[in-house]
Amino acid sequence: MGEWRFIIAAYTITWITLLGYGVYLVRVRKRAETLRDEAVRQLRRGDS
Amino acid sequence: MTGVTIAEPASPSRTRAARFPGFGLIAALVFAATQAFALFTTPPDRDMGNLVKILFVHVPAAQVGLLSVALLLVSSVLYLWKRDERYDLVAASAAEVGVVLTALTLALGSIWGRPTWGVWWTWDPRLTSTAVQLLILVGYLALRSFVDEADRRAVWSAAVGILGGLNVPIVYMSVKWWRTLHQMQSSPSTVDPVYAWGLRLNDVAMLLLLIFFVRRRYEAARTQREAEEMLESAALGRPVPNEAANG
Repeated sequence: MGEWRFIIAAYTITWITLLGYGVYLVRVRKRAETLRDEAVRQLRRGDS
Repeated sequence: MTGVTIAEPASPSRTRAARFPGFGLIAALVFAATQAFALFTTPPDRDMGNLVKILFVHVPAAQVGLLSVALLLVSSVLYLWKRDERYDLVAASAAEVGVVLTALTLALGSIWGRPTWGVWWTWDPRLTSTAVQLLILVGYLALRSFVDEADRRAVWSAAVGILGGLNVPIVYMSVKWWRTLHQMQSSPSTVDPVYAWGLRLNDVAMLLLLIFFVRRRYEAARTQREAEEMLESAALGRPVPNEAANG
């Protein structure tokens, strides 16, 4: 049973790391899209 | 009145990602399936026992991590050659994913090393060169966050990216050049055939995740860069290229 603790820890860390990075990427993308929408709004204001 | 036509707030990330929206999910499912295959179909190793099953995540993370640094090297060289901003963004994306995979490699190796070698860490050449790789990648990202001017940031970080790439053969060959604690590279030619398929399949799954991560990070970086250019144009009252405005 002792060795399975290490195996479970390894697979848990792998999934937490990869899923965590996936969630981070979603947030980065949303932040970039928000920034872009804001930029478009500012350009429109300057245009009118 | 600048005379520039602004389209609806287009979101290039959304449109590009929409071409294959399920790729990330498919990659995750493939990864889960290949892990299950390796976990439940392979017997315990003669020396390591069931701890051999950690290698099905450690080895792919290490190999694909090296691949991401190789991508960083190629993109950095291409940027310095062509001066195309896209290569700079690919390099930055590959470096960030490289940090994740290299840190994961070290963590998994440590978890495997404790019950196998009796230590969490040792200054073995393979471990040390991998730690150096992580430090270079973190330094690369830190450098990018310190330099504001885009062209200068791209050139300087390309130089660091090339340095990081030069470390790849050292990491790879370290187990041959300095025979110490870490075993030889785990490949179908150096492991028992019963484990080879588990390694191969998990390599492919990790590669799919690498492609997904780098592509998504690149798209986000490109969207952000376009937004920054538009904000700068708006602040200066400059007309913006239609390409940037329309995505």
